[in-house]
Amino acid sequence: MNAPTGLGTGAQRLIGKRVTRKEDGRLLTGKGTFVDDVAVPGMLHTAFYRSPIARGKILSIDVEEARSLPGVVAVYTAEDLKKRPVVFHTFYMTPGEVPMGPLAEGDVRYVGDPVVMIVAKDRYVAEDAAGLVVVEYDEEDPVVTIADARKGAVVHPTTESNVAQVMGIEDDEDIEEELAKGAHLVTSTVIHQRIAQSPMETRGVVSDPRGEEELVVHITCQSPQLVARWLSLALGLPDMSIRVLAKDVGGSFGLKNHPWREEVAAIVASLLLSRPVKWTEDRLEALTACNQAREQEMTTRVAFDKDGKILAAHADYSSNNGCYPQGADANVAVHMFMWVAYRVPVPGFITRAWYSNTPGLAAYRGPWAMESLAREALFDKAARQMKIDPVDLRRKNLIRRSELPYSTAAGIPVDDMSPAECFDKLLETFDVAKFRREQAEARKQGRYLGLGLSAYVEPTGSAGSMAPMTGELAQLRVEPTGKVTAMMSTHSQGHGTQTTMAQVIADQLGVPYEDVTVFEGDSSRGGFAPGAAGSRQAVLGGGASIKASKLLKEKIQAVAAHLYNANPESVSIENGMVKIAGAEEMTRSLKEVAEIAYGEPMRLPQGMESGLEAQYRYLPPPMTLTSAAHACVVEVDVDTGFVKILRWLCSEDCGMVINPAVVEGQVAGGLAQAIGQVLLEEVHYDERGNPTAATFKDYMLPAITDVPDFEYIHSNIPANNEGGFRGVGEGGAIVGPPTLFNAIADALSPFGELPVSLPVTPSKILDFVEGRSDEAEATPPPVAGTPEPAFDAEAPGASAVLSGALPLSVDGEWQVTMQPPVGPKQEMVATFRTEGGVLTGQLAAPEGTQEFSGTVEGNRLKWEMKVTQPMPITLKYDLTIEGDTLAGTAKLGMFGKAKVSGERIGGAAAAPTPAPAAAPAPVAEAATGPAAIDGNWDVVMKPPVGPEQTMVATFHTDGGTLTGKLDAPEGAQEFSGTVEGNRLKWEMKVTQPMPITLKYDLTIEGDTLSGTAKLGMFGKAKVQGTRAG
Amino acid sequence: MKPAPFDYVAPGTVAEALDVLAEAGGGATLLAGGQTLMPLLALRMSQPFILVDVNRIEGFRGISHTAESTRVAAGTRQAVALADAEMKGAQPVFNLALSHVGHYQTRNRGTIGGSVSLGEPAAEMPATAVALGAEIEIHSRDRGTRRVKADEFYLGPYMTVLEPDELVTAIHYPRWGADAVTVFREVAQRPGDFALVGLVGRVAIEGGKIARAGLAWFGMGPTPIKARQAEQALIGTALSDIDPRGIAELAIADTDPFTDHHATAHYRRTVGRRIFARTLGEALNIQQAAA
Repeated sequence: MNAPTGLGTGAQRLIGKRVTRKEDGRLLTGKGTFVDDVAVPGMLHTAFYRSPIARGKILSIDVEEARSLPGVVAVYTAEDLKKRPVVFHTFYMTPGEVPMGPLAEGDVRYVGDPVVMIVAKDRYVAEDAAGLVVVEYDEEDPVVTIADARKGAVVHPTTESNVAQVMGIEDDEDIEEELAKGAHLVTSTVIHQRIAQSPMETRGVVSDPRGEEELVVHITCQSPQLVARWLSLALGLPDMSIRVLAKDVGGSFGLKNHPWREEVAAIVASLLLSRPVKWTEDRLEALTACNQAREQEMTTRVAFDKDGKILAAHADYSSNNGCYPQGADANVAVHMFMWVAYRVPVPGFITRAWYSNTPGLAAYRGPWAMESLAREALFDKAARQMKIDPVDLRRKNLIRRSELPYSTAAGIPVDDMSPAECFDKLLETFDVAKFRREQAEARKQGRYLGLGLSAYVEPTGSAGSMAPMTGELAQLRVEPTGKVTAMMSTHSQGHGTQTTMAQVIADQLGVPYEDVTVFEGDSSRGGFAPGAAGSRQAVLGGGASIKASKLLKEKIQAVAAHLYNANPESVSIENGMVKIAGAEEMTRSLKEVAEIAYGEPMRLPQGMESGLEAQYRYLPPPMTLTSAAHACVVEVDVDTGFVKILRWLCSEDCGMVINPAVVEGQVAGGLAQAIGQVLLEEVHYDERGNPTAATFKDYMLPAITDVPDFEYIHSNIPANNEGGFRGVGEGGAIVGPPTLFNAIADALSPFGELPVSLPVTPSKILDFVEGRSDEAEATPPPVAGTPEPAFDAEAPGASAVLSGALPLSVDGEWQVTMQPPVGPKQEMVATFRTEGGVLTGQLAAPEGTQEFSGTVEGNRLKWEMKVTQPMPITLKYDLTIEGDTLAGTAKLGMFGKAKVSGERIGGAAAAPTPAPAAAPAPVAEAATGPAAIDGNWDVVMKPPVGPEQTMVATFHTDGGTLTGKLDAPEGAQEFSGTVEGNRLKWEMKVTQPMPITLKYDLTIEGDTLSGTAKLGMFGKAKVQGTRAG
Repeated sequence: MKPAPFDYVAPGTVAEALDVLAEAGGGATLLAGGQTLMPLLALRMSQPFILVDVNRIEGFRGISHTAESTRVAAGTRQAVALADAEMKGAQPVFNLALSHVGHYQTRNRGTIGGSVSLGEPAAEMPATAVALGAEIEIHSRDRGTRRVKADEFYLGPYMTVLEPDELVTAIHYPRWGADAVTVFREVAQRPGDFALVGLVGRVAIEGGKIARAGLAWFGMGPTPIKARQAEQALIGTALSDIDPRGIAELAIADTDPFTDHHATAHYRRTVGRRIFARTLGEALNIQQAAA
């Protein structure tokens, strides 16, 4: 383990201690302040009349009776609220993809869609009035499930289909080719139910406008700063001072990232009325009309070689994003993060999000968690099929420390941690062999024990990669009292950041933990930051706390050094006392130094700012990886289908641990959610789109009796960031579901392959055990022990067809030039030997000579070779020989294709000549056709997500060769490619926002061009352009 | 989730309460422990004109025993009944079933009479009353007192023979004798949930034969269901001749389970058959071993 850098110098180390939480006193005695505790004089209350049908036209709305009820102050429809227009923004602070308002207009699109808002003197009257609203509908058939969305009517009239977003490559032949190379191809389908986030504190807001200049909003949320920014954008209030407060928050789990329809309606109503307005979501609304999470389907295929090493993988993902998702997100993160712990040379995917007549999708702890469930469930299935121990199968593929730095195929750098070590530590504590003996013994008695294992790596501490994911801010001061105050942009929804940040600060400054107070939960303190989202607060808030503490400490040292005529380096702070090395008698309390710093500026060094204050906004690397490996043991009662969790071990690497109790609390909370997802919870809709779980009697959260005591193994490796911290907020919820599912599937493996369809209820388990597949979703389980059709690996060349071509036309030495999509050309000499359909040979390049073997079919040569420089990839050559020349491509892993051309050395037709250098083609030459291409073009690229990009392209053609330059605001980049008629193709590598290869394929018609740019594995962008004047 | 407007009365005696009910003409709802009613009011699924709070009625609580039966006053809190030492000996299966009602906290408020008279088909207390052959003591102002056998009390989900002007004042549980074995098994996804499948009852044995059997299902139909065929088959049969699986088949034949998103009817029947056979077998074996 590296020695952590930059950690505390105080006499008492606080990082790593289980200190008493600063929050617990008020929370455990009922003195917390949640939104519903907020009362403002003159405050009004709201209730909503909501649609009882999932889809239909609104024919009429009669609010007269409601309006005339005594105590009712206002009754609003969508039309009324338009006086304050709202543009709903996504988490990325961009306008949402489909038009929407706080209330339904014209149509209703899900059961619970708010149609009319009542503002009244109290909530009782508001609900009475809501009961008097009369709305007539023309009901239509709803789109409820993903299957409905595929074939049903369009949910939003503004979209062409129900596809909210699609990314990835459809029918990717390259991936299919790679998958076909495996000795075993294992397929697994996962069906994940819809989840209600169910924070203990439901959504709520108190909106308190104070004239036209100031708006105070109390709202339960994840970051008051982010909400203030969101409201300013969504409500178009650039001139209004918006202050957002959230003292205590009773859980969020992603739901409260930013406000949504009802909160916004209440805020708009308060602005229209110029009076404070409160809305508190009740549990019925929270379970039926609030945004929800998950509801995904995913089919994963993984090709393994005969030893169990992964060769390639493909995932086909769909999610039901409901009607108004908080971002029409196809969850590309699932695919980005699927293969970070394991080596997968060639991953591919297609991912789609669908609109439906159900509440919208919002984030939920580990929004990409499907990747771990799909991958880890598939591993166990593969292990059974291939008859390999699931431990060995994982070990063969886990990334080991010796391989670092490693870059995943999706471009994620793995350089400061080791998923294999995390897994090994788990198995040092859990004796798998012993368990297998117990399992075998138990089965003889008709008892079904199962072991589930999972490993994963997730990116935490996201920063700097997306505009809203800024650094976090720490503002520190030593008060004149000698106490330390921190104003943080972090925010706790149960995270305990008031405790952990105080630990970091006290540790760093050398003051008692009790002397540090952390203020957060108020947008008027600290500065903009996204706060809690994506397991980032320990990394960013912790880092900011350290950096700001260092600055503050330097100032204290400077002041003390000046006061005592000492060297600043000789000044230390221990337990709140400022000491001078070698001069014990000079020791003074921090209070004394602070009093001077604030109140006696003449005693400070010349020109020094008075006071003791410092701030720092910390921006770590774009992501900090966290890894974990879990093991779970269950017993399944095959008579009743009940699952009992007997043991659960968590080995986790969250870097430097600030407070083990907080870390364990985060892991345990996530695992409780995992248990709920695997065994109990389900938001279910009937075929008319009616929710069938409207209370906690039917929406079954795990209770304390359903959650076992977890055993924790801290397998920590400090991260390469300030403090060495890694995020740990989401891990349990990500790795928990596959761990528990795998344990159940292992227990029931004598009965076949348990379909991965959550929740695994007793009823489903019994159906499975008894072979009733009619009620089980997914594919019917195969008969126990029968592997899925696996095909044997075809050794390169085995499938070669003997050719009748003349071997002599191939054999010999060739001068070969390879032009990669980026970077310089490579010159090589190739030697080919053919025998029947078999090709052998060698390639001699300046870096060295490498042998290869492949196939020859007619005049076509194919072979593969691995290179390790500049990165480990496989090159696939595919060349065609015509007389004394050869031409073709070399596919460079997932990074695109290089053009290869060559000539026979000493051939009859031509002497070897170097490939022509790309040179700007004279405009005059353009008359024959290329002229229509050469020159400058204004080009717009529209990626599947994110904003359009505007660029200027410059093309030069020379015969079939294209060279040019793309000039974008971020910078200019050269490229070279091919031109064939009016079709231009080239490839170029970019490193921002991530390292991918763009493959352009454009066609020019007169003065316009159009086509696509394939964005690595992330799908295609539309490209259009016009000739620049 | 705020109740619709209602009038509130809190009578001090049974007579006062019956007066209110008689005058209300069906517009009154009784509030006892409120563990079911309060959520229903908040959800506006129940919108009474008058809420009659029976918590302050004198003598509405308490447990008394005679040689033949145990009288539990309707307003007795579940937690009080559960903690009653004498009750454990006199009515062991009542005690066992009651420990599965709701949660520790809800039992502090919930009442025996409330649970029995609500008629939730998947709840423990109605089925226990049916299994043990309890009688429900009912009062009305205009027609006086009547007693209804528990297995004739329930008509459907939340539907009973109670008239709008009637008040359940007590439940009388026959005493089965200390030797009668107890039968209880509940399959619920979480402790405190309504049962997916539940079984409760007692079986008395004399001279190696079944002398008496009272068995009822919960969660297996629109009401608690008395396993009549199984009871009849058991009575008079020698212990050595009992085939628990065969009896379970008869018991299942009387049920009418439903499918919901927690479990299928098939699941309920399958698991019901198994737990019946297992629980009965275990109960009788224990008795044989003790004898």
